[in-house]
Amino acid sequence: MFELPTSSIGGEELFVLPFGDIVNYFTPYTGALFLFALIFTLICIFSKPEKQLDVAFGTDAIYAKDVTGKDLHFRRFMAIACGVATMGAVTSGDVFNFTLFVSMVGICIIGIVASVKNKHVLNAAFNYGIISMLATVPLFGGAAITLAATGTLSIWELSAIAPAMPGIAKALILVGVMGEGIAPFYAAKAELFRAPGAPYVIMIHVSSLLMFLRVVEIMLTV
Amino acid sequence: MMDEYAIGLIVALIAIIITFVAAFREKNDIHRLIIADLAEVSALAVIALIATDLAEALIIPGLVVGISELMALSEIYLVREHLTHPVKNPFRIEVLDTAPAIIAVILVVYGIVLCGFTGGAVAGTGMVFYFMGKRPAERFALVETVSGYAWALWIVAFFIFMVVPEYWFFAVMLAGGAILAKVTAKMSLIGTMRGEKDV
Amino acid sequence: MADIDNLIAIYAVIVIAIAAIALISIIAVPIGYEETQLYPKNINTSSALNPYDRGGEPFGKTDVIAQYPQNSPYLGYVTAYLTPLSALMAASNLYLGTTIVSHPGGIIDEILYNTRGLDTIVETSILFTAFAIASFLFRREDE
Repeated sequence: MFELPTSSIGGEELFVLPFGDIVNYFTPYTGALFLFALIFTLICIFSKPEKQLDVAFGTDAIYAKDVTGKDLHFRRFMAIACGVATMGAVTSGDVFNFTLFVSMVGICIIGIVASVKNKHVLNAAFNYGIISMLATVPLFGGAAITLAATGTLSIWELSAIAPAMPGIAKALILVGVMGEGIAPFYAAKAELFRAPGAPYVIMIHVSSLLMFLRVVEIMLTV
Repeated sequence: MMDEYAIGLIVALIAIIITFVAAFREKNDIHRLIIADLAEVSALAVIALIATDLAEALIIPGLVVGISELMALSEIYLVREHLTHPVKNPFRIEVLDTAPAIIAVILVVYGIVLCGFTGGAVAGTGMVFYFMGKRPAERFALVETVSGYAWALWIVAFFIFMVVPEYWFFAVMLAGGAILAKVTAKMSLIGTMRGEKDV
Repeated sequence: MADIDNLIAIYAVIVIAIAAIALISIIAVPIGYEETQLYPKNINTSSALNPYDRGGEPFGKTDVIAQYPQNSPYLGYVTAYLTPLSALMAASNLYLGTTIVSHPGGIIDEILYNTRGLDTIVETSILFTAFAIASFLFRREDE
């Protein structure tokens, strides 16, 4: 095993997963986030999607908006990809790797609703997609400023010399995660929720929530 | 006294502010898409300021993220605006209809010899040439399959590096082959993904 | 704020505000550039591999300043490797450096595939996901 600059990083460390320069870690905090993402991904894999019902006014008719066939496969795939990206993001031990996982979550969220034919949902997905594209600018910018100012991207090294990350880098990464996770932008979120297919749509919320919890942990650690 | 890095960062931040002001003022959706793509260039500038080999290696993922989001979003835009059928007759170059397929073969073979990223681009040009000239019917699924295999090869190469590093040579070759297949597949999409119904 | 079409404008305003604060703070207190960087770049204009010459024997150890060298026991092997074709080009002229990124081997491959391989995995997965979205929508319209 190799020497890490610090033994405790945001809590007691349970398990370290080294991938070359990128050393992922599980502390009670990130481990809990990981388990949550894992459970939700399993729900997406095994459960059937909800059936949304629309009542036609003035009649007894009910339209069932069913998610079936290829559409179902595609959305399930996107939801699983989103879950895997979330799992990667919550355990990543490297700032740049974290930002990449966050952008992957962003693009998967677009994918979950992209197959819906409702024009309003598509409009929301498009607008949100533009935001997630713009959000990569502060994300990568923040990571790059961190690397230039400290000479490392590893959260282990950064936490050993904390507070090392420049404040502006922290602010940029935070605003980037805000953009990818659509957190304060409730208008688009409500529209995205119009899409039928419950466990997949809820994956949007789960992943953005977990990303926020993780980014707060990173900001406090480094 | 400011060092060179701080000066460069100031310039890059000004560029970021300019692009976001543009995103703020623009109301047309297609222009917003283009501006969002341009904005990513300023992020690449911030990465490039680090000026190490690592910065160069970080630019590649940054670039790819921008391209892939652009690809997905433009397709969503097309579906939203119901622009799935070509408005005009597809672009057609008459000489390509009679061009010998051997040119495409030469380009693909040369690309494979070059290997890596440039090789993929050259081989992809060959494929584009072939698809534009011959208009084959159902090549799209094939291209998709190839890019899927390239992705899997990449994952395999990564795990070889991490688990059995003594086979590093095999992993490099695998990754080089994967990037060749990936870039080729992406390039040949230009040849097929033009919304033609009766190819 | 409740209108979807204003979302991009709102987000742009937030980013502009953060960037402006960053700009002012950098002008007031410049961010120092850390001199000890990982994977530093050195330029030797007389080498055939010019911007990417990191020395080392093919199939031997090369010194690469990685974050955790202990994690990569074969660090440096990829850096020094040249394909036969690129070795030929390097021996015959001085301009291989302009195309070296396109051949397997070299420092960029070392970083991309070996030490920071997970970045590349995520990057290709992003591309794969976006490609899946685009091709799904494209093919559905075909049917």
